Amino acid sequence: MTPLAVSLDVFGSLDFWIGVGLLAATYGIFTLGLQLNVGYTGVINFGQAGFMAIGAYTMAILVVEAEISFWLALPASIIVAMAAGLIIGLPSLRLRADYFAIVTIAFAEIIRYTAVNARELTGGSQGIGGFDGAFLDLSDLMLDGLDSFGLGDQFLLPLLIVAVVVFGLLTVGMYFLQRSPWGRVLRAIREDEDAARALGKNAFAYKLQSISIAAALGAVAGWFLALNLAFISPTQFDPLFTFLGYAVLILGGLANYFGVVLGAIILWTLLEGLRLMDLPLDASQTAALRYVLVGLVLIGLMAFRPQGMLGKRQEMVLGD
Amino acid sequence: MTEQAEQDQAPEPAADAGADGDAILAVRDVAKHFGGIHAVDGASFEVRRGSITALIGPNGAGKTTLFNIVTGFQRGDRGEVVYDGASIFRRPPHVIARRRMVRTFQITKALAAMPVIDNMTLAAPDQPGEKLTGLLFRAPAARRREKEVHERAHELLDVFGLREKADDYAGTLSGGQRKLLELARALMVEPRLVLLDEPMAGVNPSLGRKLLDHMHTLRDRDGVTFLFIEHDMDVVMAHSDEVIVMAQGATIASGPPEEVRNDRAVIDAYLGASVGT
Repeated sequence: MTPLAVSLDVFGSLDFWIGVGLLAATYGIFTLGLQLNVGYTGVINFGQAGFMAIGAYTMAILVVEAEISFWLALPASIIVAMAAGLIIGLPSLRLRADYFAIVTIAFAEIIRYTAVNARELTGGSQGIGGFDGAFLDLSDLMLDGLDSFGLGDQFLLPLLIVAVVVFGLLTVGMYFLQRSPWGRVLRAIREDEDAARALGKNAFAYKLQSISIAAALGAVAGWFLALNLAFISPTQFDPLFTFLGYAVLILGGLANYFGVVLGAIILWTLLEGLRLMDLPLDASQTAALRYVLVGLVLIGLMAFRPQGMLGKRQEMVLGD
Repeated sequence: MTEQAEQDQAPEPAADAGADGDAILAVRDVAKHFGGIHAVDGASFEVRRGSITALIGPNGAGKTTLFNIVTGFQRGDRGEVVYDGASIFRRPPHVIARRRMVRTFQITKALAAMPVIDNMTLAAPDQPGEKLTGLLFRAPAARRREKEVHERAHELLDVFGLREKADDYAGTLSGGQRKLLELARALMVEPRLVLLDEPMAGVNPSLGRKLLDHMHTLRDRDGVTFLFIEHDMDVVMAHSDEVIVMAQGATIASGPPEEVRNDRAVIDAYLGASVGT
């Protein structure tokens, strides 16, 4: 190969697409919560990585430290994340949207620093592993079945299937929830909270529900993140990941759950493709180039299609 | 404690206003200050059930602040607001609205990025599908209610001449149409008392007349009570049964339009107080 050639071989490999699919599903579920908050309720949540951390760590700690069944730890972690959403929301959701945003980013950082420092529980920056035994049993079972298709050696494929099915179900579920009278109240609050209150809607209660459901979705995303790497550590919950969620949201378009699916697939194809593509650059240059390109894509989007791929331009213009 | 004490200090206006037993709304000695400014300072009045009552006063008299206190959007410092026999003073807006008292805003709050029909159906009370538990456990009831609500919404849109706009975004309506939509939406709440904050402002005369006609029809046919803030004296004199006058945070006169028009205090308030008052 000539030194300046760019190889696109990576796009032909199944490994690559399994990796992209897993990340897209994980951060897609993560972004469904942001869509509910930002796109439909008008609540700006910058703390989604914190809820993801709570979901992942609760599940891991319950399995490893408390030796609770993995299958029980999953719902337990959702409950803990939702409770955290309520605790954050109760004192701060009455604030204006931008102040609430600041509170959530502080919350997410508190969670991350706690994970770094509560070493006995979380393993500190070393992280925590060994929580996925029960899932691997299921995974092996699925691999036996996949073997007959010649895919028995793709050990992440079962996780991908589960993640995609869960992502699909949650997307459709959120879509129908939004079309209900409940979703209509949320949109009214996004448009004008006072108008909603004047018509007898308890805006505060709806915003609390919105943030709790987003927290639950963050927790589910946390499971898949943990299972994908069989290991969790605090750096996986950097604020950066919340903002990657926002990149997905903006790419796909506000106030459209299917936009989240599209946005997640595009963003992670781009990010992983650039990471693994054979570029005549060293590793740190490639790493920097990834985000340069994401930035360029977002700038181009703002210039030519500010409503995102599936967003409605009219809603954006009229929203003000 | 102090609240109680303050209420005890103010029996006079309450007794005064209590002459007519059939008041849907009674405001007694309400006050609200912002820092050193007394926006509302001892406002007392009653609104007779089934009446069209106008609230007038010079700019800065505290009319909108009083509206906000009555509807729960601001918390009054002292006083009492009794609606339909129960105190609603300092209750949150959504609780007050659910008792079928609904307001509109000086600057219309059409939910711009929602279709006109959704603006309407949103306002309907008693929709079990607005609760997550209701969606899970009372789905058929929610669907039935939704059907009723859509029918009612289309009826009202017909009446207000907005039927063709049902699927358009509310943000695409003209200013006057938004005022109509806001009134139509308020009626979806099935209100007993409607408070309108300057309903005629920024509305062209023919739409304005339409709005006033609707007000009379609703009062005559459904017994809805209206309390509205208005600056246009011709409208106030021609369309209201009672007029309440505010100046500098206090109510200074009330009564039938002809009476109020000739009231010395009212003339002073509008034209500037004469020397020595």
